[in-house]
Amino acid sequence: MSLATQIMVVDDEETICEALEAWFIKDGYRVEKAGSGLEALERMAKKHFDVYFVDIKMPGMDGLELLGRLKEKQPDANVIMITAHGSIQSAVEAMKLGACDYLCKPFDPDQLSLLMERVMASKALRDENETLREQLMEKRETLWEGFVAQSDAMHHVFSIIEDVAPTGTPVLITGETGVGKELIAEALHMQSRQSDGPFIAINCGAMSETLLESELFGHERGAFTGAVKARRGRLEMANNGTLFLDEIGEISSKMQVSLLRVLEEKHLQRLGGNQSISTHFRLLSATHRNLSQLIRENRFREDFFYRINVITLPVPPLRERLEDVPALADHFLDLYVQETGKRLEGFTQRALGMLMAYSWPGNVRELRNVIERAVVLARGRMIGAEELTFLDTSSKDCRLGTLTLHEVEISHVRSVLDTCNWNISRAAKQLDIDRSTLNRKIKRFHLVRS
Amino acid sequence: MAVSVIAANLQAVAGLNTGILPPIESPDYAYVPVRNQFDATRIIKQLAFFRDGAPFKLGIIAHDICSPILSFVYGESQLGGKAALVSLNRLFDNNPETFYQRAAKISLHEAGHLLGLGHCWESFCIMHFSSNLEALDSLPISFCTACEYEIKRHLRTVVADEK
Repeated sequence: MSLATQIMVVDDEETICEALEAWFIKDGYRVEKAGSGLEALERMAKKHFDVYFVDIKMPGMDGLELLGRLKEKQPDANVIMITAHGSIQSAVEAMKLGACDYLCKPFDPDQLSLLMERVMASKALRDENETLREQLMEKRETLWEGFVAQSDAMHHVFSIIEDVAPTGTPVLITGETGVGKELIAEALHMQSRQSDGPFIAINCGAMSETLLESELFGHERGAFTGAVKARRGRLEMANNGTLFLDEIGEISSKMQVSLLRVLEEKHLQRLGGNQSISTHFRLLSATHRNLSQLIRENRFREDFFYRINVITLPVPPLRERLEDVPALADHFLDLYVQETGKRLEGFTQRALGMLMAYSWPGNVRELRNVIERAVVLARGRMIGAEELTFLDTSSKDCRLGTLTLHEVEISHVRSVLDTCNWNISRAAKQLDIDRSTLNRKIKRFHLVRS
Repeated sequence: MAVSVIAANLQAVAGLNTGILPPIESPDYAYVPVRNQFDATRIIKQLAFFRDGAPFKLGIIAHDICSPILSFVYGESQLGGKAALVSLNRLFDNNPETFYQRAAKISLHEAGHLLGLGHCWESFCIMHFSSNLEALDSLPISFCTACEYEIKRHLRTVVADEK
């Protein structure tokens, strides 16, 4: 009973038009009447109608001809044919031409109400589908806007995505936690031939084996205690789309065998079921673990590894592409400034220096959290070192184990220079090197006073 | 008896000052032989021209009625208009109380249309559409708060117009 829904009644009998109009107006619809097919076409050219009730037998252009013309001009139109002279032949012809139903006059009040309910439900579903499709198109168009990167390393990753995405080949995305493996997987899906299909992601490391099995394969009603109704699994949901198995290094050997079978046979059975269900999807997986090492330790099956690892896409950690840090920091700053409504213009040189000096063991995810925290704590117009003091403390704890010797040297030289307020003599003395050696290192490491 | 019950309910539930006119002749002009029913739309048009001073007329007929598009109707009215019609033909029940309640509900529903109310989403409102007797029996003999407010608002306008 939506006021926005527009109905057109087309009938050469004025009484029929009036009766239908009276009926639909009481249900809150907006109704217009047309006495002929030509009048209906003239009106539809000027105004959009959602539902048409068209009499089959009319002088001049009959209902079936009008139906064809309507569907030609407005393919999504809901057209319901009405007639006092019901015949199977005209009903079949109307349905072939795209009518959504056929009513013989006079009809029961129940019949008309149920029909309108069904038409409106179908319209709502189609509208929702259209909106989702538009959102998907928009997401596809703005795909690369979601990636903030200036480094060659990440541009290399993007070029691999563009090459690999349309092929449908299984891809194993590797990289430390927080580098954005799921974002990469989504990008692969959006650029693939299956992009109109679903993107189904599941974190295999986040659940127990039995729960994971139920999530992946689904179950029939009564398959286990608590299975009160049948449920589709992710493998089934991913049909004609992409399945993304995150943290695939965490799944058991038994589960690897079950998945291998599905990947090879492209069929599965729900838990507690005996019906074979067909499913076709593109498999993307990701892990932060070294799967070759796990294979050597007999904790990962080699046959499964080769099935999922047709193409490997390594995503470099943030510490190996520190040049991306300023752009990412600005990106997250914009994001959280919008969220919190704070007026922040950027980072001080010293704050940027601290962000650049940090090793980011938690990668982009950690950087995002750090910026969120700094935005919340910030009092001035700029994010300064005082908003990032917690970073210094935590960085000492976590960075040493992951840095290279070269990175440790850069960080230490910078730290001593900062401590000595960039007094070269004092810093050189503390480092136990000559002033000229320190000056050479400052030049070579591109260190500047912040 | 049914007419008195209907009049009492229109007065008590909808707040309509109701009078009962003497019976009129069977509306043969509206008889549709092929359907063996009376065309409600035609009868309503005649009722609307009936001059007795009342702003709304509600006809009550013992025959089965229909509209040009529907195989039968329990009642029919002009939305925001002057006349409505209720048929008792399909409302009969072995229990007289049920029959009178059905007659009162349909009359109140059609009176609501005369006052400009459309069908209501609320299943506990007399203005909710019921296509069969089972659905009609499950409705209360009352309007929801929103419909009641609309009726009062409309009646104030009618009284102001009469003055």
